[in-house]
Amino acid sequence: MTVWTPADDGHADLSSHDTFTEGPPHNTFARMRREAPLEWTEWSGGKGFWNVTRNEDILKLNRDTGLMSSARGIRMEDQSYEEYLARRTFQETDPPEHMRTRIKVAKAFSAPVVAGFEDQIRKLCDEILDQALDLGSFDATKAIARQLPMRMLGQILGTPDEDLPWLVEKGDALIANTDPDFTDHVLDKMETDEYRLMPFNSPAGAELFDYAKELMAEKNRKGDTEGVLHLILQPDKDGEVMPENEFRNFFCLLVAAGNDTTRYSIAAGIQAMAHQQELLGQMQEGGEVWKTAADEIIRWATPALYFRRTATRDFEMHDQKVKEGDKVLLWWASGNRDETVFDDPFRVNLFRHPNPHVSFGQGGPHVCLGMHLARLEVRVLFQELAKRISKVEPAGPHRFLRSNFVGGIKELPVTMTPA
Amino acid sequence: MKVTFELADGTEIKTDAGAGMTLKDVALAASVPNITGDCGGNLSCATCHVVVPEDWVEKVGGPGEIEDEMLDVTMAPREATSRLSCQIEITEALDGLRVRVPE
Repeated sequence: MTVWTPADDGHADLSSHDTFTEGPPHNTFARMRREAPLEWTEWSGGKGFWNVTRNEDILKLNRDTGLMSSARGIRMEDQSYEEYLARRTFQETDPPEHMRTRIKVAKAFSAPVVAGFEDQIRKLCDEILDQALDLGSFDATKAIARQLPMRMLGQILGTPDEDLPWLVEKGDALIANTDPDFTDHVLDKMETDEYRLMPFNSPAGAELFDYAKELMAEKNRKGDTEGVLHLILQPDKDGEVMPENEFRNFFCLLVAAGNDTTRYSIAAGIQAMAHQQELLGQMQEGGEVWKTAADEIIRWATPALYFRRTATRDFEMHDQKVKEGDKVLLWWASGNRDETVFDDPFRVNLFRHPNPHVSFGQGGPHVCLGMHLARLEVRVLFQELAKRISKVEPAGPHRFLRSNFVGGIKELPVTMTPA
Repeated sequence: MKVTFELADGTEIKTDAGAGMTLKDVALAASVPNITGDCGGNLSCATCHVVVPEDWVEKVGGPGEIEDEMLDVTMAPREATSRLSCQIEITEALDGLRVRVPE
């Protein structure tokens, strides 16, 4: 059996971003699933939080929006009401308000609309892989994984290609705001709170917003009504238009969440291929494997490690007393390795079916809006990659992001031998 | 209660449904293909699409307002009697229900 998990003593500090620099602390999650499925973590940076680690409990609580609110923040950091209002997107709302916003964008990311992107994605994969494979040995996160979601986002937003690297850099600064490789404003090391009303507490949010406004103005001048941004700015049935701050935050959400999650799924898939040599052959065999492979790669990756909810009233679970206002972290990363649900959870099985992973936050109303696009990008990328190579090998140690929120291999040196 | 799912290839999945379950829960329990119910019955994903035959429409009823909008984003094109199965609660009156699961 291949063990890729970092050594942790089963009692890693889940509140510390440094804990995650060698990957999620899976020994700790395994102990919690076994012995303490609802465990409290003290946090030096604010109020502590509860951790939910079993797949079954995650599904149960994620569904119960009356008990588990998203409207007081979705990361472990505490938020004042003022900050919440300034920074929220529909991620930070509860039903029924959540649906009123979501419905405006649901169509743009719906299964039938996304299915129409397949040829476009395949063409992008051709270009990206031709360039990368010429290099022989390279950082697969940078040369492959980062490229596809970035370019696809550009096509969805209708932004010029030359703007894409800048956009993605800003998106990274937002969502990977605890990793000094991605931002100068490291969230848990900031001394000033001047950015606290900006999306993701980051000055990159303000820059992105200015960009979005300019982009829309340009589109309006040209009478260009294509794309997602135009769609979400349409008045709803009651004639209401999305307020400016909400639009700003949504744009930031698209750039940030629409980017790095798929990137890190692709990176994790390539890392898996480098360690489990049989995967490439199974992909090359083709056929049935493509019905299940993308979900397994996305389970393996779990790019969003957790989402936080807040208890709306006191309740008891597993002999623990949760108080109204307590933060509760639903650890997708642990739910996706739950040995009571997955056979051999620490191995990639491209044929895994059923695959009740929770990488998209399945089972609740906040289930990933971009999940159809993510699955399609992952499937097509690996289909095209498998056609072109005969071997993938590690070419050095890989490095994870410094974040307990985004799980991703930020550097993945590999050697790929062309077929 | 008995519920039958008719698949596009002509296969029928006959299953038992308990009162209080939703039709989506019944489908998931019976591993009915093409019904994944990703959002847990919260009208956020449109991945539990079924088509109700004419003779059951009256008993099953029509979609609510949000469901109506979400039915525009199902994978298979919407039909006149399309519903999201997460919004159909199983009651005695639905014993013997048959629905079609589009491809």
